[in-house]
Amino acid sequence: MGSRDPLPTAHCPLPTVFMIIVMEENATEEQIVRVVDSLIKLGFDIHRSTGARYTLLGAVGSRITDPRELELLEGVNKVVRVSAPYKLAARAFKPEGTKIEIGDVTIGGEQVVVMAGPGVVESREQMETIAGRLAKRGVRVLRGGAFRTSDDPYGFQGLGEEGLKLLREVADRHRMLTHSTIFDAAQLPLFARYVDIVQVSERDMRNYALLKEIARLGKPVMLRRGASSTIEETLMAADYVMRCGDHQVIVCERGIRTFETYTRHTLDLSAIPVIKKLSSLPIIVDPSRAMGRRDKVPPMARAAVAAGADGLLIEVHHDPDHALSDGAQSLTLEQFDKLIDQLRLIASAVERAL
Amino acid sequence: MSGESTGEKTIEDWRIRIDEIDLELVKLFNERTQCAIEIGHIKKRLGLEIYSPAREAQVVANVTAANTGPLDAEAIRRLFERVIDEARRIERIEASKEEGSGE
Repeated sequence: MGSRDPLPTAHCPLPTVFMIIVMEENATEEQIVRVVDSLIKLGFDIHRSTGARYTLLGAVGSRITDPRELELLEGVNKVVRVSAPYKLAARAFKPEGTKIEIGDVTIGGEQVVVMAGPGVVESREQMETIAGRLAKRGVRVLRGGAFRTSDDPYGFQGLGEEGLKLLREVADRHRMLTHSTIFDAAQLPLFARYVDIVQVSERDMRNYALLKEIARLGKPVMLRRGASSTIEETLMAADYVMRCGDHQVIVCERGIRTFETYTRHTLDLSAIPVIKKLSSLPIIVDPSRAMGRRDKVPPMARAAVAAGADGLLIEVHHDPDHALSDGAQSLTLEQFDKLIDQLRLIASAVERAL
Repeated sequence: MSGESTGEKTIEDWRIRIDEIDLELVKLFNERTQCAIEIGHIKKRLGLEIYSPAREAQVVANVTAANTGPLDAEAIRRLFERVIDEARRIERIEASKEEGSGE
């Protein structure tokens, strides 16, 4: 029921919702009538088919309804939701695929877009050293955190606005775009000013109030899949942003929680072809966060490009051992150089450019 | 014999007859639908629900009682369920049109 809070609907075409309700074998006419009546009150058109044993009700409408609510009605055997619970993110809504153009960079096109940089912005020298090298290797998007919400309450918390300003300055100098993570609606004015790709953390993927606010920026939004979120839930979150008028959504796979503990998370590479089929949205893979250790990053980055990812988000640091955060998962500049060369070969093998 | 009419109808002949009947059906379906639209307007004015399960059951009972085959009662019932579904749908659409223009 919580999914029915009022949202701006100006840009929102109504979804087509299709369900099949199978009645119990011994359902009475009164029970069938009650189900039909509830569906009609929800705005559905009903196609009734009374069989020798089972009565089927096909329901076509525009209201996304929890099948369990209908299954609670007496005489109902089973409710099958045929349509996806998301609409705008669905491939059917934009069969040709969503291309997000930011300046001369296109995400979701032929080019595999590599976004790289340090986990957090530390200083001008740090940003300049890293960005200079990345730009030389053709990287067009510079990432850098400014508001770090570390699990460690005593760890480095980021430079705040100063960090975003540095990120912007250095990126501009090297003709790069900026990418950073937002954590709070209070940061919106800063992101409006300094950031080209606004990233939503995996923890905030389901912070729908924040998603609605972020959508107002009208900027490309990179939505990180929650570690415990299904692909369907992730695309539903994308619909939240899109429903509020911002259709420039990029999905980011950054690992999910499984029983395996060797790596921090299990990078769900299968999400790439699945999301490509279900959705029109570009998908970016973050192997750094998923693996948590730099030696495991290049193999998964290579695999992601091979599997059809539209881009990568990679943490790179000129001196990872002395990084103020997440040094263990940051590649050295030399490692990054080597990886880029390999990725180019793989991209061409799968008919993409990098 | 070949080329001569034997009086026995061909597939083509039967299909021509089916096409004629279909045109009749379309005309009848639309006449029936017009009645449903009128009822929809009256229901709207009187504040009655569009869904009248008792009336739907009565329609099904009427047509199955009048059935002489070769379609069996279940088949007649299924066919008319579809007719009723569409009538209910158009009544809803008409009612929502009035809602929109009424303000």
